[in-house]
Amino acid sequence: MRAAALGSGAVVVLGWPWAAPRYFVFLASLIAINAIVAIGLNLLTGYTNQLSFGHAGFLAIGAYAAAILTIRAPLVPLPATLLAAGLVTAAVGLALGVPCLRLEGLYLAMATLAFGFVVVEAILNLDWLTRGNDGLRVPAARIGPWALTTDTSRYYVVVTVAALLILAARNITRTRTGRALLAVRESEIAAQASGVHLAAYKTLAFVVSAFYTGVAGGLFALVVGFLSPDSFDVFLSVDFVAMIIVGGLGSILGSVMGAAVITTLSDSLTGFQSYRPLVFGAILIVSMLFMPGGIASALPKIQPRQGDRA
Amino acid sequence: MGEGAPLTTAALAHVVVSGLATGSIYALMALSLVIIYNATRTLNFAQGEMLMISTFVGWTALQLLRAPLLVALLVAVVAAALLAWVLERTIIRHAISATHFDVLIITLGLSLMLRSAAGLLWTHDEFPFPSFFGSRPLGVGAVRVAPASLGIIGASLALMLALGALFRWTRLGRAMRAVAQNQRAARLMGISVEQVYSASWILAAAVGAVAGVLIAPVVFLSSQMGLVAINGFTAAVLGGFGSMPGAVVGGMVLGVLENLAPLYLPASIKHSVPFLVMITILIVRPGGLFGRVAPRKV
Repeated sequence: MRAAALGSGAVVVLGWPWAAPRYFVFLASLIAINAIVAIGLNLLTGYTNQLSFGHAGFLAIGAYAAAILTIRAPLVPLPATLLAAGLVTAAVGLALGVPCLRLEGLYLAMATLAFGFVVVEAILNLDWLTRGNDGLRVPAARIGPWALTTDTSRYYVVVTVAALLILAARNITRTRTGRALLAVRESEIAAQASGVHLAAYKTLAFVVSAFYTGVAGGLFALVVGFLSPDSFDVFLSVDFVAMIIVGGLGSILGSVMGAAVITTLSDSLTGFQSYRPLVFGAILIVSMLFMPGGIASALPKIQPRQGDRA
Repeated sequence: MGEGAPLTTAALAHVVVSGLATGSIYALMALSLVIIYNATRTLNFAQGEMLMISTFVGWTALQLLRAPLLVALLVAVVAAALLAWVLERTIIRHAISATHFDVLIITLGLSLMLRSAAGLLWTHDEFPFPSFFGSRPLGVGAVRVAPASLGIIGASLALMLALGALFRWTRLGRAMRAVAQNQRAARLMGISVEQVYSASWILAAAVGAVAGVLIAPVVFLSSQMGLVAINGFTAAVLGGFGSMPGAVVGGMVLGVLENLAPLYLPASIKHSVPFLVMITILIVRPGGLFGRVAPRKV
C-alpha cells in the first residue's frame, strides 16, 4: 500500500515534464524549492519551537551566493555550487543561531524578522557584488557537458536535490537527533534533565534549517535566473511560515504539502494581487483556529497502518 | 549634511528634537503593544494595521462630513475600539487558552487581512492628513523646532501619564495587572479574564488611534502606515517589553538614534537602524533597559 503510493508518486513526479505544459514544469520546480525551505523551517519551528520570520533572508543569501559563484567561477560544477550556497547560509545561520539561543517565542520571531530586513538592506548596499536594485542575471548552470537551459532539465535537478533533502530530513527526524529536537519542543527543561544538550541541539536546528534554505536559494537562482532584493521581502518569510502552518508543524510530508498548496495558491492569485494578503491572512487564521495540526494531522486517517515502516 | 561636516549645536539639537518627535510616535505604538502584552502575554502583530484602519475611518469622516479634526480624532478612537472589540470577540477569544505561538500567527493573519482590506477600500495611495499643529517653526533660543514635533511629544507624554495612572490606580488597571501575573489566580479572585482581554484590546486600539491621527500628517496616510508597529516593537524591546516607562524611553532613544545615525553613517543605513538596534539589544540585553528576564517555568 505504502510502496504503491510511493511508486505512483514517483511516476507522477518523474513524468510531470512530459504531461504538463512548460509553465507548470516551472511551477513544479518552485514547489519543490519551497518544499525544501518549508522542511528547513519546520525542522526549526516545528521541531524545536523556534519561530523564524527571517527565512526569506536565508533564501536570499543562498541564492546570491550561488549566483555570484556561478558568475565568478563558471567552471565549478553545479552540485558544488549548491553545496557552497548551503554552507555559506549555514554559517550565517550559525552566526545568527548562537546569539538567538538567549531568545524565545516572540523575541526570536522579531529578531529573525529584523534579520530578514537587514539582509535585504545589505543586498541593496553591497551593489558592487549584488548589483543592488538592478538585479542580478544568473547565467545557465552546467553539469559536465550539459548546460541547463530548459525548464525540464532544471526541474529534474531541483527534484533530485529535493528528494535527497527529504530523505535526509526523514533520517534526521527519526533518529536520536530528531527525538532530542522534539523533546526540546515539548519542554526545554525536561529535555535538559533527560540529558539533551539544549544549546547544541537548538543551534543544530538553526544551522540545518539555514543549510536547507541556502540550498533552496541556490536552486531558486538556477530556476528563476534573475535575482533582485525585492523578491526576498518579509512577505516571502510569511509565506514560508504559512506553508508549515497549513502543512502541519513537525511533519516532513506536511511541509511538502503546505509548500504545494501555498505555492499553487500564490501563483493562481498573481492576477489578483490586492486580494492575495486577504486570502493568505484568512488561511493563517482559519488553520490556526480550526486545524492547528495542519494537513499532516489529517493524514494518519488515510494511511492507518504504520507497521510496514522500515 | 555632508559627511564629516562640523555640526553646530543648534543643528544637533534640531536633529535630537525631531528624533524625540519620531520617538514619541514609536513610544505610543510601543505602549499600545505593551498594554495587550501585559494583560494577555501575547504580541498583537495587527496593532499597526488597526491604527491604520482607524486613522482611515477618521479621515473618511473628515472628507464626508467636513468635520473638524477633533471630531475625526473621536471617530477614529471609536472606530478603533469597535474594531478591537469585534476582532477580540470573534477571533482572539477562541484562542484564549491557546499558546502564544498560535495567537501570534492569528494576529499576523489579521494584519495581512486588514492591510489588504484597507487597500481595497481606500486604495494603496498616500493621502495628506491635516495636523493639529501649525507648520511655522518655533524658535527656542537658537534652535528651531517644528510645532508638530513638540505637539507629538507633548501629546504622547500626556497619554503615557494617563495610562500609567490607569494601570496603577484604577480597578481595571489592577485587574489587568492581575491577569498578566496569573490568569487562574485572577479568575479565582473574581476577575473576569474575558472582560480584561476585551478591555485591553480596546484600550490599546484607542491609544493606537490617537497615535495614528498624530502621525498621519507626518508620514502620510496610507495602507502601509501600519508598518510603524515594527519600530514600536523595537522600542518596547529596547525598554524592556512589558515596562511602560521602558516603552517610552525606548521609543525616544530609538527615534533619536534613527535621526542621528545618518549623520555619522552612510545615509542608506537609516532604514536598517531599528532592526540593527533590535538585534543588538536582544543579543546583548534581552531584558531591555528596564525589564528583566523572567525565570523559566516547566
